[in-house]
Amino acid sequence: MSATLNEIGQVTWRHRSVIDLDNWTREEFYFFLDQSRHMENVMDRPVKKVPALRGKMCVNLFFENSTRTRVSFELAEKMLSADVVNWSVSGSSAAKGETMRDTAWTLEAMGADIVVMRHGAVGAAQYLASKLKRGIVLNAGDGTHAHPTQALLDVYTAWKHFGDLTGRKIALVGDVLHSRVARSDVIAFRTMGCEVVLSGPPTMMPREAETLGVNYERDPRKAVAGADMVYLLRIQRERQQDGLFPSVDEYHRWWGADEELMKYASPGALAMHPGPINRGVEIASEVADGHQSVILEQVRSGVATRMALLYLCGGGAR
Amino acid sequence: MGKLLFKGFKIFNGTEFIKDDCLLAEDGKIVKTGSGLECGGAEIIEGDGRLIVPGFIDLHAHFRDPGQEWNEDLKSGAMAGAAGGFTTLVAMPNTKPAVSEPALIEYVLSHGAAAKAARILPAGCVSKKREGKEMCEMEKMAEAGAVFFTDDGAPVATSQLLRLALLYTGKVLPRVMEHPEEISLFQGGQVHEGRVSALSGLKGIPGASEEIDVARGIALVRDTGGRIHFTHISSAGAVELIRNAKRAGLDVSCDTTFHHLTLNENAVINSGYNSRFKVNPPLRSVEDQRALWEGLKDGTIDAIVTDHAPWHMDEKDEPFQEAPFGIASLECAVAVLLDYRARNYPEVPLELLFTKMTSAPASLLPEKWNALGRIEEGAVADLTVIDESRTRIVDCQTWKSKARCCPWEGIALTGWPVMTFVEGRMIWQDSEEL
Repeated sequence: MSATLNEIGQVTWRHRSVIDLDNWTREEFYFFLDQSRHMENVMDRPVKKVPALRGKMCVNLFFENSTRTRVSFELAEKMLSADVVNWSVSGSSAAKGETMRDTAWTLEAMGADIVVMRHGAVGAAQYLASKLKRGIVLNAGDGTHAHPTQALLDVYTAWKHFGDLTGRKIALVGDVLHSRVARSDVIAFRTMGCEVVLSGPPTMMPREAETLGVNYERDPRKAVAGADMVYLLRIQRERQQDGLFPSVDEYHRWWGADEELMKYASPGALAMHPGPINRGVEIASEVADGHQSVILEQVRSGVATRMALLYLCGGGAR
Repeated sequence: MGKLLFKGFKIFNGTEFIKDDCLLAEDGKIVKTGSGLECGGAEIIEGDGRLIVPGFIDLHAHFRDPGQEWNEDLKSGAMAGAAGGFTTLVAMPNTKPAVSEPALIEYVLSHGAAAKAARILPAGCVSKKREGKEMCEMEKMAEAGAVFFTDDGAPVATSQLLRLALLYTGKVLPRVMEHPEEISLFQGGQVHEGRVSALSGLKGIPGASEEIDVARGIALVRDTGGRIHFTHISSAGAVELIRNAKRAGLDVSCDTTFHHLTLNENAVINSGYNSRFKVNPPLRSVEDQRALWEGLKDGTIDAIVTDHAPWHMDEKDEPFQEAPFGIASLECAVAVLLDYRARNYPEVPLELLFTKMTSAPASLLPEKWNALGRIEEGAVADLTVIDESRTRIVDCQTWKSKARCCPWEGIALTGWPVMTFVEGRMIWQDSEEL
C-alpha cells in the first residue's frame, strides 16, 4: 500500500504522471475515491474554489477534439485555482510540422507544471512523459489505448452507489476493439475486484480478449445477466463503413441497450455510458433517460475525480 | 597485398569447427589452414582461443540510398556492417527511387565499394519502379550484379506478376525474395495481433497475413517449377508451411531475423509502447518465437538476416503509432543472438547459428558468390574474429550507422565480433583491440 498516512499525518502519494491505471493498487483506488468525495463537496459550495493548485500552470494539450473531457479538466483545474492554458492542435503533430518532442520542450520552457494531453496515437502520453524533465503528464486519452480519468470517474460513480465493489459484475457492451475507455475500465474494475464481461460483435472485440482477464459473451443478454452495471460503449458510425458491422439497425437490435436488455441485469443495476451518447444506436432513449441511467452523474463525477487526480499528482499531497 | 597469419584460433569453416588452429591468407585469398603454421613475412594475429569464422553474410538490409541518405547511406551502411562482423550485405531496393533498372544496380555496387568496408551486393526490384505492374529488366539487372529480385517492403503485388517473375527467373536468374504479407490484412496495422494488440488497442497484424502470402508463393513455385525465397519469416504458421513445402521437394528457402529470434510481443508491451520496438513484420507471440527456433534447428529456416532498417532519430523518435517501422541492428545483431542463445538455447550448437549466417546464405546468392561464407583453400579471405567472452553495452550513439536507437540500447551483451576482414584487408577492429 503506497498511499498512506505517514507518522505526522501527511499523505504520501507515489503517482506523478498518469498514463494508465495498470500500476494502481486497490488501496490507492480507495484512497483516491475518498479524495474525490472531498472534491465533490467543493462543487456544492457557494464559492467553488480551493487554493490547492494556486500558482501551478496546467496546459490542456488537445490534439483531438474532445470538448467534454477538456471542459471537465478545465473546470477541475479552475476549482483548484490553477492557471489554465488550453492548447489545441488540429491534426497530428506531424501535420503541423512540429514534432511532439519540440512541443513538449516548448511547454516545459514556458513553465508548464501539469500537461493534460489527448492524442490520437497510442503511446503518445507515455512518450510525452518521457520527454518532460519536470512537468507531469495526465493522459486524457491516447488513441485506442487508455483513458484513465474516464475509468476513475466510472469507478467513483459505481462506488458511490454500491460502496465496496468486490464481487460486483460489470458488462461492457459495444466496440471494445477501438475503445480506450473499455481498456482502462477493464483494468480499473478488475483491480476493484469486479467481474468484467465483454459483449458486442466479434469483429469489434480484441483477439485474445482473455489477455485482458475478462470473458466475452457474444449474446448481450448472457453478458448482462445479473450485472450490477451495464456499460454501453460508443459506436462510431464510420466503423460500419469499415465493414465491422452490417448496419446500425442490426447493431441496435442485437447489442443496443433497451428496456428489454436491462431486464436481464440485476434489479437496481446502473446504466452507464462515457458520452456522447448515440440514441438509438448503442443505447435507447428509454434507457438513457430512465431511472437506472447514471450518465449525468458520471459527468459530475468526472469533475470531482479530475480534481482529485490533479491535486494528488500535481500539487498538494506530497 | 600482404600475408596474414592467424594463430591460436578456433576455426569455424562455414559448416563446422575444425581441428586446425591457424589460418594463412595471402592476396585476399585463404591459402590454407593448419596447426602450428609459421610463415615468414606475414603479419601475425594472435587468437588466444578466440573464434574465427567466415565473414557474416546478411541477405537483407536497408540503406536508404539513393534518396534518403539522412537515414543511412551506402557508406555508413557498409561501415556499420563491418562493425557488426558482416562482410557481405544485400541492399534492399525499396529506396527512392527504387532500384529497378540496371544503372541503379551499378550505382549501389559502386557507391558501396567506395566505402571500402563490407561488400554491398544489390537486390533489384521485381517490378518497374516497384509499382507492382510490369517486370523489371531482370536479365540486364542480373548481368549488372543484382543478387535477388524483390519488391521488399511489400509483397509482389499480384499473383499473376509473381507467377510471371517465377517463370522468368526460373532456376537461371537470381532468386525472387518475397516479403510475405497479405496487404488487406495489414491496413493500419501496428503490432502483432494477439496479446499486444488486445492490451494496447493498436491495430493487429495477424500471423495469417504472412501465412496467406507464403501459401501463395508455394502454390506458384509448384505451378511454375521456379524457386522463391521468403524473407523475414515471423510466424509459426509460415514456418510450418515452408517445412511442408521443403518436404514436398519444392525449391523454397527462407530467412528470419535476429530480432524475431530474440524478442517477442512482450518486449513491446514492457517498453510502454516505445517506437524502438516497432517493426514489420511485428514482434510476434512467444509461441511464434519458439517456432522460429524449431525452424532453425530442423533446417526449415536457411538464414538469419538483420532486416537492418535505419531511421534518423527525427523520424524514429515519435509516439509508437506515428513512428516508422524498422529496427536497426547491424552493429549489435551478432552479439544479440550469441547472448540470447547462451541464456535461452545453450543446447543449440554455435555451428548451426554460424552456418545460417555464412555458408547457408551464400548458397542462396547467385553462383558467382556461392563460395563466400567458407574457410577453405582458395576461398575469399572474408573473415570475422569473435570474442565469446567480451561483454559490452550496446551504445547506439557510437554507431557507424546513422540510426541512433535500437531495442537493445543500454543492455550489456556477451559475445562480440572484434575484427572484420574483407579480401584479407582489415575493415574494422573493436577499439578495445587497439
